[in-house]
Amino acid sequence: MASLLQPDRVLYLVHGEKKIRSPLSTLYFCRYCSELRSLECVSHEVDSHYCPSCLENMPSAEAKLKKNRKRICNQLNENFRCANCFDCPCCMHTLSTRATNIPAPLPDDPSKTTMKKAYYLACGFCRWTSRDVGMADKSVASGGWQEPDNPHTQRINKLIEYYQQLAQREKLERDRKKLARRRPYMPLAFSQHTIHVVEKYGLGTRLQRQRPGAPITSLAGLSLKEGEDQKEINIEPAQALDEVEPLPEDCYTRPINLPEVTSLRQRLLQPDFQPAGASQLHPKHKHLLIKRSLRCRKCEHNLSKPEFNPTSIKFKIQLVAVSYIPEVRIMSIPNLRFQKECQVLLTLTNPVENITHVTLVGCEEGDPEDINSTAKVMVPTKELVLAGKDAAADYDELAEPQDFQDDPDVVAFRKSNKIGFFIKVVPQREEDGDVTVSFKIRHDFRNLAAPIRPSEEGDAPTEAIWLTHHVELSLGPIIA
Amino acid sequence: MQSANIAAGAVVCVESEIRGDVTIGPRTVVHPKARIIAEAGPIIIGEGNLIEEQALIINSYPENIMPDTEGVEPKTMTIGINNVFEVGCVSQALKIGDNNVIESKADLGKNVILTSGCIVGACCQVNTCEVIPENTVIYGSNCMRRVQTERPQPQTLQLDFLMKILPNYHHMKKTVKGTSTPVRN
Repeated sequence: MASLLQPDRVLYLVHGEKKIRSPLSTLYFCRYCSELRSLECVSHEVDSHYCPSCLENMPSAEAKLKKNRKRICNQLNENFRCANCFDCPCCMHTLSTRATNIPAPLPDDPSKTTMKKAYYLACGFCRWTSRDVGMADKSVASGGWQEPDNPHTQRINKLIEYYQQLAQREKLERDRKKLARRRPYMPLAFSQHTIHVVEKYGLGTRLQRQRPGAPITSLAGLSLKEGEDQKEINIEPAQALDEVEPLPEDCYTRPINLPEVTSLRQRLLQPDFQPAGASQLHPKHKHLLIKRSLRCRKCEHNLSKPEFNPTSIKFKIQLVAVSYIPEVRIMSIPNLRFQKECQVLLTLTNPVENITHVTLVGCEEGDPEDINSTAKVMVPTKELVLAGKDAAADYDELAEPQDFQDDPDVVAFRKSNKIGFFIKVVPQREEDGDVTVSFKIRHDFRNLAAPIRPSEEGDAPTEAIWLTHHVELSLGPIIA
Repeated sequence: MQSANIAAGAVVCVESEIRGDVTIGPRTVVHPKARIIAEAGPIIIGEGNLIEEQALIINSYPENIMPDTEGVEPKTMTIGINNVFEVGCVSQALKIGDNNVIESKADLGKNVILTSGCIVGACCQVNTCEVIPENTVIYGSNCMRRVQTERPQPQTLQLDFLMKILPNYHHMKKTVKGTSTPVRN
């Protein structure tokens, strides 16, 4: 049954700030700390921005802000939106450019007409076209489409400049205090990390990282704007008006033209205008997506680093748990009966290339990690030996099958780097929920990341360390 | 025995299943594996329609009436011109106008009436009892609706191409010119 292979059936426990139970396929393994890490105990960093439809890389926020500072508002828009691609304002799908032939008079001879290409934007999903809002067809395929200007742009620009200057001043004052008690043991390597933290009021160029509880570390180089433009920017306060525009007289009597009314989602996706009518919905540039890298919070090593190219799905660094930790999967479950012993067949797969020894240990009474199990489980007491993963095994027919003496009561089958073994389950609770069992799996791990000691010592280059993981299985409901 | 009236100029592949009293207008293309079933009454299909593979156009009995009940009048299903029934759609609507597009795996119930220029999106089920106004687009998993300003263009290019290419690879059903001839299967 395919449902037995569902990832959330087998959960591994991660010891972090919070105890998290999640399937092995979603976890990472820090081989420097030799511990499992989940998405919540790593720090996420933005690597690059790219457009999901044209797959074009966008220069990072830093490069953009180095340009003309006067057009800050537009830049903040352009920072995270693609220049070529548009979103349908009606259904948020990507718009495609279509061409029609229209007769147009030749410039030399107005009486003759020739076919010229005219381009318009159209959505393949909801059939919205740019002609619906009255946008004229353009004669160029791309680059001709402009977003309408926000009437409040100038005021917003001025406000942003004022507040950025304010934030800068506050930061300088804070840094002056912090410089005095800067911790001496912070390695200087941190200043090279391009970790962007969105700052108050969007300065964005400060290279900082906040760890919970630690003060903000200041860096040797201060922000780009330091030293420039110290002139004061004054803003007029906003003026409150007593009179508001009255509602139109036929507000209550006019019948609603339902296709013309915009939905709340369509309206709020254009916060500058928030049009109430569908004929004012203009397309917006497409939002960019990010590629992110993950970093272990304890040892600061990268756990996952994607490639820079948006068309590539590979990783430069990919320390995922499934390639280091043996994976337990459920193969078959008999009918589970209350208080009756059932034999469940599980498989254990060895992801590494050397032989792994695995011991299973049941959870003891009062184990603080064992909170979910609803059944007693008897795991095989003998050590299970898993052969290494051999990439060429499929092609090498003459390879001798390795001889492991397997106890047929324990090991059901063995196939290259996978074995099937039995566990005995006695459901203890007669209730509607799933039967859950948990046990600990202890295996040896050879750390290839550790520095190789010089061979004069005579030791094996890699020592095996023993790791223990807490595994929980969800076996399904009791069948009476 | 009821037979299919296929006008000259229509291209109907032999692998399509046409049962009952069905009239097909000229310049209509019926792909193989399309099914047009006239159980509870005749079906009249206009010209320039495009009925793609695995589309099902069925004039079926209402649910609570047995096929053999006396006194049930056969209702005619009319389909206009220049409609497109995309792959895998199911249409039981009794009246379909012109220039409509019923996208893949859409499902039209018995009580819907499509006027002109409507587009029923992919996988949308429309089984309300209403007349869909002109130029309506039904799209999305929640069957959202909106009105478009222009009707979908008739697929003349596609029809011309298919009328040339399909006879090269499939046998066609015999067309009739007003006289009833048994359908060759």
